[in-house]
Amino acid sequence: MKITSKQYAISLFESVKGKKDKEASAAVKKFFDVLVANNQTGQMNKIIDQFLKMWNTENGIVESEFFSAQGLDKETVKLLTGYIAKHTGAKQVIVSQKVDKDILGGVVIKYEDQILDGSLKTRLKNLKEQMVK
Amino acid sequence: MSITKDFIVEQLKQQIADFKADVKKQTVGVVTQIGDGIARISGLSDCMMSEMLEFKTLKGSVFGVVLNLEEDSVGAIILGDFTEIKEGTEAFATRKILEVPVGESFIGRVINPLGEALDGKGKIEASKSYPIEKIAPGVITRQKVRQPVQTGIKAIDAMIPIGRGQRELIIGDRQIGKTAIAIDTIINQKGQEMKCIYVAIGQKESKIAGIVAKLEEAGAMEYTTVVLAGASDPSSLLYIAPYSGTALAEYFLDKGEDVLIVYDDLSKHAVAYREVSLLLRRPPGREAYPGDVFYLHSRLLERSCKLSKEYGGGSITALPIIETQAGDVSAYIPTNVISITDGQIYLEPDLFYKGNRPAVNAGLSVSRVGSAAQIKAMKKVAGKMRLEAAQYRELAAFAQFGSDLDAETRAKLERGKRITEIFNQDQYVPLAVANQVIIFYALLNGYMDDVAVEKISEFEQGLYKYAATSGKEIINAINKTGEFDAAVEENMKSLINDYKKTL
Repeated sequence: MKITSKQYAISLFESVKGKKDKEASAAVKKFFDVLVANNQTGQMNKIIDQFLKMWNTENGIVESEFFSAQGLDKETVKLLTGYIAKHTGAKQVIVSQKVDKDILGGVVIKYEDQILDGSLKTRLKNLKEQMVK
Repeated sequence: MSITKDFIVEQLKQQIADFKADVKKQTVGVVTQIGDGIARISGLSDCMMSEMLEFKTLKGSVFGVVLNLEEDSVGAIILGDFTEIKEGTEAFATRKILEVPVGESFIGRVINPLGEALDGKGKIEASKSYPIEKIAPGVITRQKVRQPVQTGIKAIDAMIPIGRGQRELIIGDRQIGKTAIAIDTIINQKGQEMKCIYVAIGQKESKIAGIVAKLEEAGAMEYTTVVLAGASDPSSLLYIAPYSGTALAEYFLDKGEDVLIVYDDLSKHAVAYREVSLLLRRPPGREAYPGDVFYLHSRLLERSCKLSKEYGGGSITALPIIETQAGDVSAYIPTNVISITDGQIYLEPDLFYKGNRPAVNAGLSVSRVGSAAQIKAMKKVAGKMRLEAAQYRELAAFAQFGSDLDAETRAKLERGKRITEIFNQDQYVPLAVANQVIIFYALLNGYMDDVAVEKISEFEQGLYKYAATSGKEIINAINKTGEFDAAVEENMKSLINDYKKTL
């Protein structure tokens, strides 16, 4: 039977769970040997993706992206981080900030598969649509 | 002048002030795979089955429908142009089950399955939307079928009567007059308080243009909507076309009106669904159709119904069409649809090439509703008609072997020949029910036995003309009450006798 990348990720996750660094690296080495033996190293990227996802959900980590036109000050970031933490129940929110001149102003937040579009560009577009009606 | 200018500026200001810019949380997914009108999307963790998705592309929004919910991806069909959607395109959940606009304004129009105009007569404004999938009306809300749908085709109205709320399958090979029966029926609904919907699935657009022109010419577009998913449309549109036509029919049903809907044809619909299913990697079954192809058609045809008075009393009559390959009615899709519908009209190539048009095979065609869907006058003449036609078929096969026949058999054969001749009918000339009763009465009571078979159609046309001038009261009586009492019968006898004297 074919072993899916998700099944690999689960086994890797369970073999390193709750272990110290040294034991964990031994487990990872063993896992890699299994992959090589099964000729499945090509699936490595997918397995890493799945593993990260699993690790994040298990430890209550949410990754998020903030898009803004000029960059955000610390206070706004803190506020938005708090909002995400409240809505997802996450213990830790990892933020990556990106500057995107195209959105003109405001902020767009992405986390998990949710998106909050508070950009000026979208608002102007909505206004245009409403006025055309 | 300045007043109007100020007024306009003021209005604009007002509109901008009224504009509320609220930020909504949206669920989004990313297209991971796209091709053949099917997209696979990761994300969208909380989307629903058959929910509409909005794909934001560079050239505007394209909509799709969720058909597969899998462990870590979502499979969706795309309604419309999928060439702009690329890997990485964002798909937004709309929180709405797929619905189409409905309303009175669709009458007389040609639309695509999404309710957009295709006839170049401008945008159609609609106030309401109906979901394209709906659970069929339950037992409590229904009533027995008892009012007729007059098809205007003699062979059908006499032998295979169709009632309002019935589902009657039209089945036969290609190029044999299946669509012609449906179109004639639509044309004959003029003044019968019927709304008609013609759903073309995978048909050539040239053919549909011809049909629309013919309907317009006959004045039938005043109560007809054509839903068109042409041969060049993606199979996702072909798949939703009959459901979207039924959604429009349900709008009129809810208003208590009678609707006739033609699905032309369900074989192509099944093929489109097979394509979609296989691309979504659902396992193939018999003839490579997916396992739920029966449910595909049963859930569609169950939505045809006759509602009881308390629920509005409306009805949806369905005329699904199935195209067989070389007369094979035992293929997968034909047997399925035969078992779902309340009867079938079977058209046969042999009869067609012999010159019997419509080429209805009276032996294999049935209507499970039967004479409950005929007016009383028709009931009286048609019962005998069916019997004599059946006897003739039996005798004709038998009489081929010998020429020595007794007088009674010969009379029956002669009568039978006239019946077959009477059932021949040109396209686009449906016949009013009163005229049908008169001609059947004349035939069954021996008034036509002395007319040569070749002269029958001439005799027939003359009789209608004569009845239109001298037999008005008979026609009115039949149209008004549908009764056929002794007085009407006497009148009819004298009418036919008088007519024969003029010959």
